[in-house]
Amino acid sequence: MRNKLIIITFICLVFVQIAIPFSMIMKREFVLRSGAEFKFKTAPVDPYDAFRGRYVALRLEGDEVTVSRGLRLHSGQNVYALISADEQGYANLTSVIDRKPANEPYIQAKVRYLSGDKAKLDLGIDRYYMEEKSAPKAERVFRQQSRGDKQGAYLSVKIKGGFPVIQALYVGGKRIEDAVRAIN
Amino acid sequence: MNKKGIKWLYQELPGLVARGVLNQETADKIQQYYGEIKSKSQTSVILITCGTIGALLIGLGIILLLAHNWEQFSRFTRAVLSFVPLIIGQGLALWVLMKRPQSNGFKEGAATFLSLMVGASIALISQTYNIPGDTGTFILTWMLLIFPLIYFMQASLPAVIYLIGITAWSGSRGQSPLEAVLFWPLAAVVVPHFIWALRREIYTIRTTLLSLVMIICVSCATGFSLVRAWPGFWVVLFPAIYAIFYYLGLRRFPGLTTGWQRPLRGIGGTGLFILTLMFTYRYIWEGIRSGYHFLSIDEGAPAFSFLPAQAIAFMLMVLAALFFYDAAKRKDLAFIFFGGLPLVAILVYALRDNPTVVPLLIFNAYLFVLSVSRIILGLRNNSLSVINAGMLMLAALILVRLFDSDIGFILKGLAFIILGAGFLAVNVSLVRRMGGAK
Repeated sequence: MRNKLIIITFICLVFVQIAIPFSMIMKREFVLRSGAEFKFKTAPVDPYDAFRGRYVALRLEGDEVTVSRGLRLHSGQNVYALISADEQGYANLTSVIDRKPANEPYIQAKVRYLSGDKAKLDLGIDRYYMEEKSAPKAERVFRQQSRGDKQGAYLSVKIKGGFPVIQALYVGGKRIEDAVRAIN
Repeated sequence: MNKKGIKWLYQELPGLVARGVLNQETADKIQQYYGEIKSKSQTSVILITCGTIGALLIGLGIILLLAHNWEQFSRFTRAVLSFVPLIIGQGLALWVLMKRPQSNGFKEGAATFLSLMVGASIALISQTYNIPGDTGTFILTWMLLIFPLIYFMQASLPAVIYLIGITAWSGSRGQSPLEAVLFWPLAAVVVPHFIWALRREIYTIRTTLLSLVMIICVSCATGFSLVRAWPGFWVVLFPAIYAIFYYLGLRRFPGLTTGWQRPLRGIGGTGLFILTLMFTYRYIWEGIRSGYHFLSIDEGAPAFSFLPAQAIAFMLMVLAALFFYDAAKRKDLAFIFFGGLPLVAILVYALRDNPTVVPLLIFNAYLFVLSVSRIILGLRNNSLSVINAGMLMLAALILVRLFDSDIGFILKGLAFIILGAGFLAVNVSLVRRMGGAK
C-alpha cells in the first residue's frame, strides 16, 4: 500500500520533470513561430560552458542605451528596451523605460550596470551554442570577414511579448554553421 | 564494540577452544553475547558504492556526449532528443521503485542517474534554444526538479548533488542578498534526510560523504549569504556554525566508531581551533575596527534586503547558544570549552570599538584555557589523543606568539626544543602510567 502511494507520487514527479523542460521548449517554439524578426549586429567570441557545451559569446552592438532623464534605475532592475530598425534593417535599442510599452516592439531586459546616463543591459541573447569544433573556428571566420570590410556578423532574433529567442547567427550573409563548414 | 573486533574474536574462538584457553561452553556464550555479525551489510555497502559510482560516471558521460552539440540534427529532433535521457532515467527509477524497493544500491544508483539526466535534459534544451548564460537559474531549475528524489529513493548522492547545486546558485547570487539567503530554506529540505542517514548504521560511507559536503556547502553559503548581515560579523558567524557542527559530531550515533566517519566532530573541532588561533592575531581586529567587511557590501542594495540574512544569522546564533546551554546542563566538558567560542566572539564583537588589545588579550587567554582544558580532560579520561591535541594547541599558541615577537633566533630555537622535549616527556610518562594502570 505504502509502496503504491510512493509510486503514484513518484509518477507525479515524473510529470513535473517532463513538464518543466517541455514548457521551456514550447515557450521558445511559440516565439520562433509567431514572433517578429529583428537583426542585431554582433561580434562573436568563443568560451566554454562545462555543462551545456561550447558556445560563442555574443557582444551585441549598442546594448548600452541612454537612460531618459528623470528615470532612476538600479542594477538588476527589470526594464523594457525599445527597438527600432534602421534603413538596412538592423535593430537598434532606442531607449529604456520601466513600464511595459503598448505598441512598440521591445525586449524585456535587466540592467547589468549603470555608467553615467548609459545603462548596460542584459538582453538574454548573449550565447550561441555550436558544435565543439566549430565554435573556435567561428571566431576566426568572423575576424576574416570583418578585416575585409565586408558585411559583418548579425544575429537574427525573433521577439514576441518582449521575450527574445535566437534564430540564427550570420557572418558575411551566411549562416555561421555554413561559413565554418566552407573554410574546412 | 566495533564489528571488525567481533569478527576477529570469532575467528580466534575455535583456536582458543582447541588450545584449551576456553571451553566450548564459554565460546558459545561469547557468541551468544555479541550475536551474529551482519555480513550482508558489507555487500550492501559495496553495491551502493559501486552502483553509485557507475551511475555517476554514465550520467556524466551522457552529459558530455550531449555537450558535443550535434548540429546536423534539426531543432525538432534535438527537442525530442532532450527528453530521451530524462525518460530513460525516470523509467529506471520507476522500475527500481516497483521491483527492487528494498535494494539500497539500486535506489542510490538510479536516483543519482536520474538526477544527472534531469540536468542533461535542461542543458540540451538550453543549447538548442541558445538560452542565455545565467548559470544560476539553470542550476536552480535543475536542483528543484531533483530534490524529491532524495526522499522517494532514500538516496544520499542526489542530496550531495543538490547541496552543491544550491551552494553554487547562492554564490551566483552573491550580489543580491535577498536571493542568496534562500540557500538556507533550500538546504533545510535536506535536513530530515541527513538525520535519517545519520541514524542508519550501514550507511556510514555515504553519511560521511554527506556530512563532508554539508560542512563545505554550509561554510561556503555562509560566506555568500550571511557574512554581510552586519559588517565584520563573520567573527561570530563562523564560530557559531563550527560549534553547531562540533556539537552534532559529538552526538552518539550507532555504527559511527572511527574518527574519519565523524567529519562533523573532526572538522568542527579543528575549525573552532583555527578560528580561535586566527582571533589571536592583531590584523583581524584591526580590520574589523576599520570597517573592512570580509566581502564588500553592494552599494546599491537597500538596508532592508539584509533583514532575512540577519534573521538567519540570529537563528544560527540562538542554535549555537542552545547547544551550549544543553552541554552546560549535562556538564559535557568536551563541548563546553570549544562551544563557548561563539559566545566569547559575540562579546568581543560587541566591544569591537575598544583598542585591539582587548580582543587579543581575551583570545590568547581563551586559547590557553582551551588547550589546558583539553589536556586535563585527556588526563582524566586516560586518552592520549586528547592530551596530545591539547598540547598541540598549546604549542601552536606559544609558537605563533614567539614568531610575532622580536625575540632572537637562539631563543626561538630553544623554545622549539623545549616544546618538543616536553611533548616527548609527557607522552613517555603517560604511556608508562597507563601501562602501569593495566
